[in-house]
Amino acid sequence: MALLEVDSVHIAYKRTIAVKEASFTADAGQIVGFIGADGAGKSSLFHAIAGVLHFRGEIRYKGYPYHSPKEAEPIKPYIGLMPQGLGLVLYPQLSVEEHLEFFANIRDIPRDKAFMKYKKKLLHMAGLAEFPDRLAKNLSGGMKQKLSLICTLIHKPKLLILDEPTTGVDPLSRQELWEILDQNRKEERSLTLFSTAYMGEAAKMDKIHLMDEGEIIAQGTAGELIKSARPYTYQATRCKECITFNGRTYSLKPLSAPHAEPTLESLFFINALKKGKIPPPVEVLPRETPIDIPEVVMEAKGLTKRFGDFVADDHIDMQLRRGEILGLLGANGAGKTTFIKMLLGLYPIDEGELYLLGRKIQSPKDRQELKRYIGYMSQNFALYKDLTIRENLFYFANMHQLPLNKASERIERLAKSLGFWDYMDSFPKDVPMGINQRFSLAAAILHEPVVLFLDEPTSGVDTIARAQFWQLLHKLKHIWGISILVTTHYMSEAQYCDRVVVLRRGKKIADASPKELERRFGTKDFEEVFLRLYEEQE
Amino acid sequence: MRTSVIKAYMQKEFKDLVRTKMIYLVYLLPTMILLLFGYGIRLEVTGARTIIIDQDQSRFSKELIDKCTHSKYFNTKVLLISPNEGLHRIKQAKTDILLIIPPHFEHDLLHGQKSELAAFIDGAFPLRATTMQGYVEGVILHAAKELAQRFGLKHPLITLNHRALFNQAMRDENAIVPGLIGLIMLVAPALLSALLIVKEKEMGTIFNFYASPVKKSEFLIAKLTPVFLLHSINIFILFLWATWWFGVPFRGSFGLYWITSELYLLISLSIGLLVSIITNRQIVAVVLTLIITIIPGFLYSGMLMPISSMVGESYIEAHIFPVMYYNHIVYDTFLIGQGLESMKNILYLAILAGYGTLLLIVGSLLLKKELG
Repeated sequence: MALLEVDSVHIAYKRTIAVKEASFTADAGQIVGFIGADGAGKSSLFHAIAGVLHFRGEIRYKGYPYHSPKEAEPIKPYIGLMPQGLGLVLYPQLSVEEHLEFFANIRDIPRDKAFMKYKKKLLHMAGLAEFPDRLAKNLSGGMKQKLSLICTLIHKPKLLILDEPTTGVDPLSRQELWEILDQNRKEERSLTLFSTAYMGEAAKMDKIHLMDEGEIIAQGTAGELIKSARPYTYQATRCKECITFNGRTYSLKPLSAPHAEPTLESLFFINALKKGKIPPPVEVLPRETPIDIPEVVMEAKGLTKRFGDFVADDHIDMQLRRGEILGLLGANGAGKTTFIKMLLGLYPIDEGELYLLGRKIQSPKDRQELKRYIGYMSQNFALYKDLTIRENLFYFANMHQLPLNKASERIERLAKSLGFWDYMDSFPKDVPMGINQRFSLAAAILHEPVVLFLDEPTSGVDTIARAQFWQLLHKLKHIWGISILVTTHYMSEAQYCDRVVVLRRGKKIADASPKELERRFGTKDFEEVFLRLYEEQE
Repeated sequence: MRTSVIKAYMQKEFKDLVRTKMIYLVYLLPTMILLLFGYGIRLEVTGARTIIIDQDQSRFSKELIDKCTHSKYFNTKVLLISPNEGLHRIKQAKTDILLIIPPHFEHDLLHGQKSELAAFIDGAFPLRATTMQGYVEGVILHAAKELAQRFGLKHPLITLNHRALFNQAMRDENAIVPGLIGLIMLVAPALLSALLIVKEKEMGTIFNFYASPVKKSEFLIAKLTPVFLLHSINIFILFLWATWWFGVPFRGSFGLYWITSELYLLISLSIGLLVSIITNRQIVAVVLTLIITIIPGFLYSGMLMPISSMVGESYIEAHIFPVMYYNHIVYDTFLIGQGLESMKNILYLAILAGYGTLLLIVGSLLLKKELG
């Protein structure tokens, strides 16, 4: 009998369905992965299994069935849940040591020798043994996640549920988190459910479930899944009823092109094909206004931002050249957003010089005059959720003082070419993330800027929408000839950039083209590249 | 129920309160409200700025002026200006009262003729104006009475339609401060208990409760006990401010005041618990708690208007909110001292106990150990 059996679990919130009839089983000693975008239903499924959310269907733990949070109460001593969010379960004002004490206390664990030994071991594994007195609010993002994990492990749960524990965490901390999990799997023989948005982590899991729109679309080992995708994966070619991305073409019908080796991401494309959901093509039409930009669009010299004692950005030098996509990469808290906010003048610059479009920025007046040349898309898409997409776009057009007839013409052009014309009168919350992402981009380029700053535009968006978005950016670059600065915490997205700058704790640790990085570290796997880059810094 | 679990949660709560410095709020807020409102609400008027234009310059007029200058209710200036100039000063809000003594005032009185004094009062604030009007009338009548006695007249020389507005014995502090205790002890504990729970919901740490074997009862005790203990101290602090700083007399039994206050505290923190069940954000919890506690705490406290003089809906509403029952007992312990000899006090005490138990039961039934 399997340790955990999930039987047709269905979860709905008011109108939306979060999880559709999900079923799977998992055994002790396994690490079972759930991969999918935000809104795919991973968190809801985990919450149901952890007994904190209402669901329909049945879940059995060691044969004990439960159908509601109330019935799940008797198995809670054996469950450890680490919900999504950096350091979410931590109390900012408590120290590392106090956290472990608190978590042990609420689990009513006796303070015997074995406990003290285990606690010491956990602290050591997490690399937190040196600072037992540090308050949680003063820990870095990676340390917070490691502390959350060992707090979840303190009662030796038999069923460990980890919801995106590695998202936004720096590569080294991620590796350490995995080491803790590996050791826990071996020694405690517990079952670990693990969700992630990083495909790269799939290789470390015993079994993977791919999730999309509340459904488990495929399950098996990484090898099995890739094998199942092989018949549908070809080298890039032109054809009808297929999707081409990143050098591969996916088609359900046989093609004459030679086959290509798929990745796990391929499965999402194939799933879309099987459901007949071929994404509409996105086009970029030529710009109306002529473009005249200098060789160097943006130059930062020693840009620094401090928040009290904390240095968010420490003497950053950076150049954004004409017609270039520059990727600004780094974990949460590396200083990416702060940097973009300095470029936009949302934060005052503490030290250093900034040149935009060949002009030194000294006063708010300088910025005011440059605003019409700059497009900005903020993290989580700054949209007005009580306005429809059309109203949102008109609002942005108004802000840029576009005449009404011109605005409506441009909005229609963009909406049709970017494939969200059908959603114009919907509210942002009612449309897929990918649509929101594209219409936010439309809002940012409505005034035809010459430089575009995008803050985490792909975060939480599903694989296909992400792929389309990158295609869109490249078209924008070629057809409009504009420069684009993109921040992301997906290291694998480095391959789509012309050049990448990597930030780590406010310092620049790399500034090179992806090719140069591949050559330097001898691998095409950017996860690996960044791990090595971080290790160099230690 | 495991005491070790409750203890662990409570320890965490106290550390958090101290380290976030919220503990200051627990003790500063009640005192601040008491001091601000205690001085801020003035029903009585003292030192009304008064200008007297003495056009008579006689012995009688001087005597009348003396009466005013010697009263704490007036801050008198005798000026030689025209009546129009005096009225202009009322318009400019530079004076509150203008009193004009006409020429031949003494002469008219001595000859038994009717005389007219002109009194102008700034009526911008009606309550204040009526009070001041009462003062003026009072002073003049007093003077007239004295004069009449001196001359052995049967009928007073000056007639005035007077009402007894002369508030001499009632001190404002006595009327306001005990009522404020009822307001504060409703607002502050509700605010803290709502925040302690909603904070965990907003931060996400509530998962530690949802996903662990911690029981609902354990969680509730751990969350509400710190509020109860911390605010129990406020019962004493507020008592000291009232008696020692504001000089309000205390005529009843301290035991009754204490027990009633603890029961009332229980009601307040249950209100906070109920708010925390329906809200997920701290800011919403604060606003909601303030609205549902301050408005009834103020309006139906009996501070501004006696409940007995309320009619219709307001009378019913006053009986729905707990503040009326508490304030009745508190006013009794401070000003009257009947204590448990009064049946009404016993009844109200029982109502408070029932009220608290009911809210607490409803709150703990509604609290769910799952995502809402």
